[in-house]
Amino acid sequence: MKIDTLFIDKAIPKDLEIEYLISRLNADPQRVENTKTVYDFINDAEDSILKAKKTLYITQNKGAVIKACPGTSFYTCCDYTILHTGTFCTMDCSYCILQAYFHPPVLQYFAGLQTLGHSLEKTFKQNKIFRIGTGEYTDSLIWEKVSLQPKFLIETFARQNNCLLELKTKTINIESLLPLDHNEKTVIAWSLNTPDIISSEEKGTASLKARLEAAKRVESKGYKLAFHFDPMVIYPECEIQYKKVVKQIFEYVRPESIVWISIGTFRFMPKLKQIIEKRFKHSTIPYGEFILGLDNKIRYFKPLRIKIYKEIILCIKNYAPNLMVYFCMEDQEVWEKCIGFFPKKEGELGHLLDKSAVKHCSLNSNLL
Amino acid sequence: MKMSDLLYKINISDIDLTDERYKISFSENDISFLAQSLKETGLITPPVVRPLNNKFIIISGFNRVRALIHNKETTIVVYKINPNTTDYLCLLKSISALAFQRLLTQAELIICTRRLYQFIDKEEIAKKSPAIFNTELGPRFVGDLLTIGALPDPALELIHMGHLSFKSAKRISLFEKDAIKIFLDIFSKIHASQNKQLEIILYIMEIAARDAIKPKAFYMNQEIQDILLDKKKEPGLKTKDLRDYLFEQRFPIIFKTRQRVKEKITSIKLGNKIKFLPPENLDSQTYSISFTAKNYKEFLSNVQDLNAGLENKALKEIFNQ
Repeated sequence: MKIDTLFIDKAIPKDLEIEYLISRLNADPQRVENTKTVYDFINDAEDSILKAKKTLYITQNKGAVIKACPGTSFYTCCDYTILHTGTFCTMDCSYCILQAYFHPPVLQYFAGLQTLGHSLEKTFKQNKIFRIGTGEYTDSLIWEKVSLQPKFLIETFARQNNCLLELKTKTINIESLLPLDHNEKTVIAWSLNTPDIISSEEKGTASLKARLEAAKRVESKGYKLAFHFDPMVIYPECEIQYKKVVKQIFEYVRPESIVWISIGTFRFMPKLKQIIEKRFKHSTIPYGEFILGLDNKIRYFKPLRIKIYKEIILCIKNYAPNLMVYFCMEDQEVWEKCIGFFPKKEGELGHLLDKSAVKHCSLNSNLL
Repeated sequence: MKMSDLLYKINISDIDLTDERYKISFSENDISFLAQSLKETGLITPPVVRPLNNKFIIISGFNRVRALIHNKETTIVVYKINPNTTDYLCLLKSISALAFQRLLTQAELIICTRRLYQFIDKEEIAKKSPAIFNTELGPRFVGDLLTIGALPDPALELIHMGHLSFKSAKRISLFEKDAIKIFLDIFSKIHASQNKQLEIILYIMEIAARDAIKPKAFYMNQEIQDILLDKKKEPGLKTKDLRDYLFEQRFPIIFKTRQRVKEKITSIKLGNKIKFLPPENLDSQTYSISFTAKNYKEFLSNVQDLNAGLENKALKEIFNQ
């Protein structure tokens, strides 16, 4: 989606990062005193979410740059660390929780490579493995064509050995990443779905084929990969379609290059339903067989989740028996029935993922 | 009261009873109490009438006039308003006369706002509401009243009878005409609380959206028609059957799984005193078992029943499925 309005926080100095960004965005920047102007501009629109996707606000991160993923109660969390580089997204996925998460949603780019660098240096000095990602509140690579940030992050992570950077995307914005010296510390991850879901629910994203071709290209440059089947959507014959996607992954890339695959079915805060119904009138995803989960999120009825998980995990394991497959936010019963064990102890899942990170990304194994 | 409204004694036969343009309240089916009161106490507040085409039309007091006719009275004392009084002022009088006696019902509010909207916009209605309705109505609520007022028959009657809640009416007002009609038809045939009405609306609309069909196409299916047209069934029972059917259609797998678990629990035969409940939505793994006992004998009996169930195949299946 094209940015048609660009706001810049007055406090942001016009340095190389900003000049580079502005010169490539092709929009006249408007300097603003505070976020209110931006909020008002977005809230004035009938579809404020759509408006927010076309309105970029370049500002500073006024909160924590690095923070632990909040996870959710009652379901097992992977102890991920979030590098907060921006918010919201230019693509328009019907199921995107960010539509309901921010009030109002604002597409923010957090400028300040130095600030990022300082925060990261502190983390690099800790005697602990960190899996750090920028794809929690935004897509990691939406600004790749116009920003120096991805290059900065990849090269910064390349100079240490206790942290892995995961760049999670639905784009194929990889061109500037290819020549970089990443020292295996960056994992490029793609969220995957079936072609049906991509075309009906993931407006503005790259096709499955394009994502896998991009994965193959970064793999050829030594980058490690990850894939996220999240959210899996249950619809007639979806098992066949998801298994085809799994098959395609291994037609494009080698199992050894994949650090992990996560899977999770569609779950959402109740208020997202209204947003989907209003903004995506032809979407049928809110009409699955959902129940209210223990964490007050709406999720598929458990037997349905277990059924699709079992099939897809079996399929993945057929191609790559040793590949780390994990659930994002599932409980003991699901783990045991689908994977055969449950990381019961606090931090156990995180530790398993750390081990995979160390193995694939040449991190310091003494820190495990 | 303005000085132009003067008390007159007129012949009841001079009142055009067919002109109900200012009628707000729904007619009382039984006016015998009012008729009896008029006989014993007399008319305390005379009706308000407006001269029109050599007759009088009622602005306020429809039931009082009916009750006097019931009492076979031939004359009546009325307030006769100035013939030049505007339609708008007559309408205000008709509303205020009732609203300052008692709070208007939602159906009456709908009727009144619709009529007022012919003269003033919704912001103006909201602004003047304390003086007209004896209560403050926000512009948004007035908007809702107008939207609901635009629903076809028998929406207003259903609201008046309590068979269609305000919230449900507001919800269905967003739908296409055909969908509105089916819900009015459903709520004419069943008696459901607001939450149940909203659930019925939600399930039908979601099933239609999921299956990419019109709500009417789903509504016309035989099972629904059989439930609604069953003359032997009480409206309350029809509501239950309809809700069960809709749940099964909306959540077929959840429905079947719940049924299966229920059947298994029943097959364990733990007795009537022991409650064995599956986890909420079957999302956790925690089943609950409880019983009450008034004395040791009862306690022992329950424990024995539980022990007897231990080797039951269904019990093991429930926990190991």
